[in-house]
Amino acid sequence: MSLLFKGRQNTNERPKKSVLSGGYFFIINTFRQGVYSLGEMWRTPLASLMTIAVLGLSLTLPATLYLVVKNVQQVSSGFEEAAEISLFVKENLSGKETQTLVKRLALYPEIESVKFVSKENALQEFKEVSGFGQALEYLDSNPLPDVVLVIPTKRNRQPNAASVLLTKLQSEREVDFGKLDIGWLERLNSLLSLLQESVITIALLLLTSVILIIGNTIRLSIMDKKEEIQVMKLVGATNTFIHAPFLWTGIWYGVIGGLFAFICVSLMMWWLSAAVSGVASVYQTNFTLIGLTLNEFALLVLLATSLGFIGSYFSVNHYIKAIEPDKV
Amino acid sequence: MINFQQVSKTYPGGHRALEKVNFHIKPGELAFLTGHSGAGKSTLLKLISLMERPSAGHVFINGVDLKKVNSRQIPYARRDIGIIFQNHRLLERYTIFDNVALPLIIEGTHHKQIAKRVHGALDKVGLLDKIKCHPSTLSGGEQQRVGIARAIVNSPPILLADEPTGNLDPELSMEILRLFEDFNKHGTTVLIATHDLGLVARMKYRSLTLKDGRMIQDPLAEAVL
Repeated sequence: MSLLFKGRQNTNERPKKSVLSGGYFFIINTFRQGVYSLGEMWRTPLASLMTIAVLGLSLTLPATLYLVVKNVQQVSSGFEEAAEISLFVKENLSGKETQTLVKRLALYPEIESVKFVSKENALQEFKEVSGFGQALEYLDSNPLPDVVLVIPTKRNRQPNAASVLLTKLQSEREVDFGKLDIGWLERLNSLLSLLQESVITIALLLLTSVILIIGNTIRLSIMDKKEEIQVMKLVGATNTFIHAPFLWTGIWYGVIGGLFAFICVSLMMWWLSAAVSGVASVYQTNFTLIGLTLNEFALLVLLATSLGFIGSYFSVNHYIKAIEPDKV
Repeated sequence: MINFQQVSKTYPGGHRALEKVNFHIKPGELAFLTGHSGAGKSTLLKLISLMERPSAGHVFINGVDLKKVNSRQIPYARRDIGIIFQNHRLLERYTIFDNVALPLIIEGTHHKQIAKRVHGALDKVGLLDKIKCHPSTLSGGEQQRVGIARAIVNSPPILLADEPTGNLDPELSMEILRLFEDFNKHGTTVLIATHDLGLVARMKYRSLTLKDGRMIQDPLAEAVL
C-alpha cells in the first residue's frame, strides 16, 4: 500500500532527468512507438493493405513511366551515334587544296574521322546504287561535287553539338555547304523531352495524391482515436508523444507502399521482357529492358517514406492540435 | 496548495461560469466542492487542470500562477494533477493494466517501475485480479476505481474528482470516498466536486459551495456571501 507514496514529494517539483537518461528514454520511446504503430497496422490488416495497395499503385505508375523514358533513351542513344556531316567542296578547287582541307579537318578535336569522296567515286557509287546508270551516260559532265564525310567525336554527336560543329565547318573557305541530317534526331529528342516532362508532371500529381491519401488516412485514424488523444492530453502527454505513433504510421505506409511499388514494377518488367525480346529479335537487335537499379530502388523507397512522413506530418500537425480535453 | 484570487471565467458567447471566486486549499487538505448543475464546479476544476484559462483573476497551484504556464508547459503541469471523471474516460482498446500505466508511460518511467506501480495502484483500489481485463467487462464502480488508480499511479500531489460517485449506489459511493480519504491521509490534496449533499454531510470535511458562479459558502472564508 505504501509503495505508491514511498518517497513522494509533496510539491510540484520532480527530480530532473539527466540528458543521458532523457536521450535513452527518447530512443526507447521512439522505437517502442514505431513498433506499436506497426502493430496497430497489423491489427487492422484489410484497411492497412488497401491503403498500402493504393499507395503502391500510385507509386508504380510514375516508376513505370520513368523506366519507359529510361529505355527509350537507351534506344535513341544508339541512333544519335550515327550522326555524320557531309561537306560539299567548292567546284573549282584543285586536288591539292582539297587534300589540305581534309588534313586540316582531321586536326579538329571535335572530329573523330574524315573521309574524302571524290566526285568521280561518288558518281560511280550513284550509278551502282541508284539504277540510273544508263541515263547518267547521257550527262555532259559530272554534276556531283567532291564530298568530305566527317564523323564527329562521341561528345559531338549530340544534335546540338553536331549543329555547332556543322556551322564551324561551313565557315571553312573551301566548303561550299554542309549537311547534317539531324532533323529526325531533333524530333526524336523533342518527343523524348516531351515524354520526360509528361512523366515529371504525372509523377508530381501522383506523388501529391500519395501525400493526400496518407494525410487523409492519418486524419481518419486521428478522428478514430479522438477520445484516446483527449485522455492522453489530460494525463500529461505532450504533443510530440501523441504525434509520434501517427507519424510512424505514415512512415510505415510509405516504406511498405514503396516496396509494393517496386514489386509491381519488377513483375511488370519481367512480364514485358519476353515480349520486348521478341520484338527486338524481329529487328535483329539485342535490346533488353532495363529495370530499376539498386540506387533507384533505394530512392523509390526513400521517396515513398518521405511522402508518408510529409502526409502524416500535415495531418498530425493540423488535427491533433485541434483536439483539446475541454471539447469533450 | 490551490489558491483562487478573484477568479472569473466567461465563455465565448457571454456565459459567465465563475465570478470573482476566492478560496484557498492547504496542502494535504480534503475538500468538497458542491453546487447545483451549472453552478460552475466543472469550470473550476477545468481551471485547475489547465483545460481552461481564467478570464480574470489568478489561480495559483503550489505558489505557481497558472497564467504563467505556457501551452508547451501544460502537459508537464497536468502530470502533477490526478483527475477523476464521472464517466471514467477509460480506453476500451487497452487492458486495465495499460489504462492505469498510461501516465507512467507518458512520463517515461522504466517498464519495471511501471509494472510495480500499476500493481500497487490496482491493489490499492482492490482490482488487481482485473489487470488483464478490458474496461467494458467491469461494472461501473470497478471502472471508477480503475479511473482512480490511473489518477494516483504517478503519485500526484493534487487529486481532482468531478462527480466521482455520480453513477454509483450509496454503498459504492462511500467506498470510493474512503479511497480518497485514504489518499488524503498519505498527504495528497484532494478536491471533490459533487452535488450529493448527503454524501458530503456524512464526511466531516470542508465544503465549498458554488451558486451561479459565485462562492456562497466556505467555512474558512472570512466573509460568506
